[in-house]
Amino acid sequence: MNRRTLLGGLFAAASVPALAACSSGITSLDGEGGASGGGGSSKDGVTIGTANFTENQVLGFLYAAVLEAAGVQTKVRPNLGTREILIPALRGGDIGLLPEYQGALLHYIDPKAEATEEGEMQNALAMSLPVGLQVLPYGMAEDSDAFAVTRETADRYGLATLADLRKQNGRLVIGAAPEVKKREVGVVGLKDVYGVEFKEFKSLDSSGPLVKGALKKGDVDVANLFTTDTDIQANRWVVLTDPKNLIPGQHVVPLIADRKADSTVRKALAQLGNVLTTADLTELNRKVDKDKKDPEDVANAYAKEKGLTR
Amino acid sequence: MTIDWSWIGDHTDDLTTLTFSHLQAALSAVLFGLLISLPLAVVAHRIRPLRGLLLGLSNVLFTIPSIAVFVLLLPVSGLTRTTTVIGLTIYTLVVLLRNTVEGLDSVPAKTKEAAKAMGTRPLRALLTVELPLALPVIMAGVRIATVMSISLVSVATYIGDGGLGQLFTDGFQRNFPTPVIVGVVLTLLLALVADALLVAVQYVLTPWTRRRA
Amino acid sequence: MYELFKNLGDWLVSGEQWTGPDGIGHRLAEHLQYSLLATLVAAAIALPLGLLIGHTGRGAFLAINLASFGRALPTVGLVVLVFLASGLSMWPVYVALVALAVPAIVTNTYAGMNAVDPDVKDAARGQGMRWHQVLFQVELPLALPLIMTGLRLALIQVVATATIAAYVSFGGLGRYVFDGLAQRDLVQVLGGAVLVAVVAVVLDLALSGLQRVLFRHRPA
Repeated sequence: MNRRTLLGGLFAAASVPALAACSSGITSLDGEGGASGGGGSSKDGVTIGTANFTENQVLGFLYAAVLEAAGVQTKVRPNLGTREILIPALRGGDIGLLPEYQGALLHYIDPKAEATEEGEMQNALAMSLPVGLQVLPYGMAEDSDAFAVTRETADRYGLATLADLRKQNGRLVIGAAPEVKKREVGVVGLKDVYGVEFKEFKSLDSSGPLVKGALKKGDVDVANLFTTDTDIQANRWVVLTDPKNLIPGQHVVPLIADRKADSTVRKALAQLGNVLTTADLTELNRKVDKDKKDPEDVANAYAKEKGLTR
Repeated sequence: MTIDWSWIGDHTDDLTTLTFSHLQAALSAVLFGLLISLPLAVVAHRIRPLRGLLLGLSNVLFTIPSIAVFVLLLPVSGLTRTTTVIGLTIYTLVVLLRNTVEGLDSVPAKTKEAAKAMGTRPLRALLTVELPLALPVIMAGVRIATVMSISLVSVATYIGDGGLGQLFTDGFQRNFPTPVIVGVVLTLLLALVADALLVAVQYVLTPWTRRRA
Repeated sequence: MYELFKNLGDWLVSGEQWTGPDGIGHRLAEHLQYSLLATLVAAAIALPLGLLIGHTGRGAFLAINLASFGRALPTVGLVVLVFLASGLSMWPVYVALVALAVPAIVTNTYAGMNAVDPDVKDAARGQGMRWHQVLFQVELPLALPLIMTGLRLALIQVVATATIAAYVSFGGLGRYVFDGLAQRDLVQVLGGAVLVAVVAVVLDLALSGLQRVLFRHRPA
């Protein structure tokens, strides 16, 4: 072993973290059309990625159930993170399919998008998605972002709509997942569309224990929740209405790599989309969150009950 | 906070899978850590000026939060097992490098001179004299690195991996203590068993250290 | 590589980044508060324990193996567990950090006490010193270098791990790491990581300086 090769190895090893931080764009996460994540077509199987909240995992396992029934091998990777992490992973090929939400996805891809009606949004998505990705037909079920306050807060400040928040500019604290701070359907849009400015943004989670705990405790005044969260009703929280349509329709829509989107996959997911309602989805979420059932079991049982699988 | 025993019974398959996945990540990291740190330690041992640099550098690595390392690796290796293993390997290096250098330092100069006098070539002396004598200190490092890796794997749950760590995020999101308790206990057990096995390995590998005991 | 570091430079020097509730100034103060308080509490628990075990020789097995147990304990799991038990509070953060720091301090304190030459202790007793005199005037000064090593090790680990506070909604420099992950903003993640490392190194240097002052009167 000569000294020079040893030194070479030394510097290579020493610079691993630095390199890691610097080569964004070279490989998988930002690369286009990588081949991992199960190869070139749905025959090689489909890896389904899901975001870091219950409902997305339920949807992921529902996709898996109907695809398996159609003869497609699947692998579900639960809890991978936020859209900001998942979409690069889909482009890089680490995953092949992802349960998404129409409006939120559109605003992620194109923050200036103006479409609000489902058909328009579907077209806008088709136009603006990066090469190699497409959305399949959207389903019936819908899960919107909601900005909610406790009943006491609503009464005290006279809050009923998002526009009312403006009267309290600089006085209220909002709690949401960290990514919402920079999202159009979030702090950015609330300022642009309603002129609302908060005293503070608290980084919490996606309609999870942190944001709900903070709302209950009074650590935040306004919380970003999902409309399919049964805790909203259970706690009699007030969802502020959205007269200027800041929050777009959020029908569940499969986002998929082109190479995985063959007719078998399309047909199976379309069938699911036509059966699953918002009420169904809310109930499935409740079973996982409250009854502590596995998302996988809940999804399989539902698919079977509805005759989507045998 | 009560334990839902039936959940454990219903999930033995999942728990087994997660445990093996957890172990695989931790052990791969220790293995790669050894492969990288052995040659580096020899360099640091022989070339004095590099010694401070290498050890200092590895100490600084130790101060960087592990979650940040995993995230910063995402552009390189994506949401994969590779990211987990690279991140963990970086942390094992801190311990393995230091202990291997100290192990080599602990070999008496007279022993090395004797080997030289007998005409043993440097590489052979390193492999047959120095490394075996350094083994107890190196093995102490391997034990620390292994236990540390097993504990650290769970941090990778923030990038969708993490073996038993997935039980932590799951329990957190659903306000469900059982998976969390099970995850903590299994992690501790894994570390305990791995450590005991390494003690046994060391006992077998270094018969000369036993006589004195 | 150049671009990321240039962006990091911009991120670190922009005035806007340093002010307000999410500014570096505030996050730094929070991080220091978590780290120092946790290390102090850990020292208050671990130092007497380590000294007692070292002085009496009882519980040596515990002292030696505690460090290994501390290393094996998964911090994320502990944080979540305490969170589920206590709800939204600082408890998960402090319990996890203290649990991380105690073993390192106990083990090193014991090791330092154990390394004191038994003849020296015997001589001290022979001169008629009481047990507390032996402990505080003989053993403790001799064990101090290793005790300080334990404290420094604990502090470095606590500073790096205090990042986890952000996972359960609190602040500190970990906020940049977790927010950067959610927003996929690598500059922010790198900025947070670099700041944590700087804090750890600076605190370590401060403690080693303190150590040097303490030992000024004695040859090394």
